[in-house]
Amino acid sequence: MTLLKTGRWITIVGLALLAAVYVRALAFTPVERFQGPAQKIYYVHVPSALCAMLAMGLVGIAGILYLLLKDPRFDRFGEASAEVGTAFSLVMLTTGPIWAKPIWGTWWTWDARLTLTLFLFLLFLGYLLLRGAVTDPGLRARYSAVLGICGLVLLPFIHLSVYFFRTLHPQPIVLKPSAPSLPGEMLVTLLFSFLVFTILYVGLVTQRYALSLLREQAEQHA
Amino acid sequence: MPENTPYMVAAYIITAAILVGYAVLLYRRTRKP
Repeated sequence: MTLLKTGRWITIVGLALLAAVYVRALAFTPVERFQGPAQKIYYVHVPSALCAMLAMGLVGIAGILYLLLKDPRFDRFGEASAEVGTAFSLVMLTTGPIWAKPIWGTWWTWDARLTLTLFLFLLFLGYLLLRGAVTDPGLRARYSAVLGICGLVLLPFIHLSVYFFRTLHPQPIVLKPSAPSLPGEMLVTLLFSFLVFTILYVGLVTQRYALSLLREQAEQHA
Repeated sequence: MPENTPYMVAAYIITAAILVGYAVLLYRRTRKP
C-alpha cells in the first residue's frame, strides 16, 4: 500500500472514531454539575490543543534534525505537520471561545494563555506563508526549520502560562505532576478523544507528506 | 445546572466541520487528475 493510501485509511478510521468520541462524550459521559453541557466541549477542545502543540513540537524537532542532517524528509515532514497543526489550532481557537462565553461570560480575554495560543496559530500561518514565499528549496527548508524551532520554544510557555500569570483559563487537570483530578468516566472519554485526535493527526500528516512527495516528483518530470 | 446545550452543539459541529473539511480538501488535492 502506498503512503498516500495508508494516510487515507488512517484518516478514515480516525474520522469514524471521532463519531465514536461524540457518542461516548454525549451519551455515556456524565454532565458536570456546575458548568452543564458546555463542559463537554472539553473533550474536543483539549485534545485539539494538545495535537496542535504536538504538531508544532514535531515541526521544531524536524527543523533541528533538518539543520543537523540536511535530509529533505525532515523538511517535508515539518511542512506536513505545520499544515495539519493549523487545522487543529483552528479547532482549539474556535471551541475555546464557544466554551468561554457561557462559563466566563466573554468570548475572549487577552490573558497570557489565550494570547499565546493565538500566537501559536499565527506562527503556523507564518510558517506556511514563509514556505509559499521562498522559492529556493534549500533556503525555504532552512528558514522554515528556524521558524519551527521558534515554535518549539513557545510550547513550554503556553503550557506553563497558567501557572506564571493571572488568567481565567483553568490550570491543567490531567497533564500535571499530581494525579488527574477528573472522575474516571470523564478521564476515559478524554483519553479516548486524545487517542482519536492523534490517529487523525497521523493520518492527515501522512497524506500531506505524500502530497509533498507527489509534487516533488511532478516538478522533476516537468 | 445551567442550560447551555447550544454552545456544546456548536462546538461539536465546528470541530467536525474543520476536521472533515480538511480531510476532504486533502483528498481532493492528492487525487490524480
